[in-house]
Amino acid sequence: MKPNARCGNGRDGAPSLAMATACIISTLPLLTGAARGPALQLFPTTVLEDIKETGQVAEEMESGLQDIIARLDRQQQLYIQSKCEGATDDPGCAQISRQLGATYMEMLETMSQRLPDMERAVNSTRDSLETRLRAELGLKMTPWTLQETLLGQQPDGSTNVEPELRGRSGLRLSQRFRQYYQLVAQPGRNTGHSLAVVASDIYLDMEEASALIAQTREEIGRATLLEELNQSFGVITPEMQAVVDGVKSILFGEAGQVVELAGPPPGAGEVAYQSPLEW
Amino acid sequence: MMNITRLAAALAVLFTAIGAVSGCATTPTPKCELSGTRDLTAAIASAESRLDGGCVAHFDRYMDQLIDVAAGDPTADNKQAFSNFLLWTSDQGLLSRRQAQETWNRYFNVKFVSLRGDYNNCAQTCPIKGRVMADMESELADKERGLLQAALDRESYYRADRLLKETELVLEATCRACVAGGR
Repeated sequence: MKPNARCGNGRDGAPSLAMATACIISTLPLLTGAARGPALQLFPTTVLEDIKETGQVAEEMESGLQDIIARLDRQQQLYIQSKCEGATDDPGCAQISRQLGATYMEMLETMSQRLPDMERAVNSTRDSLETRLRAELGLKMTPWTLQETLLGQQPDGSTNVEPELRGRSGLRLSQRFRQYYQLVAQPGRNTGHSLAVVASDIYLDMEEASALIAQTREEIGRATLLEELNQSFGVITPEMQAVVDGVKSILFGEAGQVVELAGPPPGAGEVAYQSPLEW
Repeated sequence: MMNITRLAAALAVLFTAIGAVSGCATTPTPKCELSGTRDLTAAIASAESRLDGGCVAHFDRYMDQLIDVAAGDPTADNKQAFSNFLLWTSDQGLLSRRQAQETWNRYFNVKFVSLRGDYNNCAQTCPIKGRVMADMESELADKERGLLQAALDRESYYRADRLLKETELVLEATCRACVAGGR
């Protein structure tokens, strides 16, 4: 339940690009559905537009990187099949290594071009949600009304057939935002979570994603500087591989954590006793 | 000689007083132990009898023991048995209505007694969020004993469990937003 606990700095306390990028996907969970509370104004049009725009920016980033990633995969495959690891004197392997390094740099450059837009969109979504959360849940509600809001979405005796999941993997970044949008834009969907939970979840994710994008940009800057200093990427370092994996995770959702929000209630569906003492 | 007599008299008075005090300490108090029955109805009757007999100070222990007894024979009806028992304590003036409500809801309601207050969350809950969450965790343990173990109400218990997790998430976000608004 603590999103920050899922991500951290890399070795020696330095935030690695791989970890940062991998965390972007693992901390942008997909929620399966929500009920619409009667009085909550957590998702006005401005917030919906922000979420929608973030999805569009993500889609542009995907399309820009998709070819490069595919080329990287092919070059890496060739490098492995040619048994180039350790064969530093082989001219063919040296050529593959240089191509790999160049493609890797191209990927970093494309990301560095797209990430500012992504960061702006994510920050905008975060800020608008922050304002709504503070107003609607922080200032308008008491602890008791908050509790009733969270509970009020399910009729008595109803059960969830499936456990609610956060952080579903296997989706493209743009698809996740599209589902965020659908989740909050379509009234009448009732799959167990209140909008307060959905809004909180997206807000925390946006906040963390914003920090991770900033870290990623720094890492790209550092890697670019190294290249400019003629430090060749002649071999596939674990760091390079991790960065590529992280970017693939962002784009294609190939990895991620699935965190179960709560266990499934195996309830018997009987009419519950109601005490006169019950609040 | 006179002084010795006075000293002896004073000692006699002192020993008498000591004897009286120690005598008070061993004066029989009301029998406050519950009967060892494993039948909830009988155990509640025993508790009512003891409470009636002046053992009000033992109420919390009785409640604890009664929950244990109920867990030995869990059934949905146990909720009502406890409700009736607590209503009785309220009617007898042993507990206030509010105390009776808090006790029942702590063990048998999905909602958390620990998450209450009259002021907004930014002002009231966020400054003590850690303590609120710790209190809710502790209350969930009581709900496990009441809802799950004594009343076999799995659905409500798991909903309470999820409510705790949702509350943690929502408070985490809301309190960050509150702090950001104060910057």
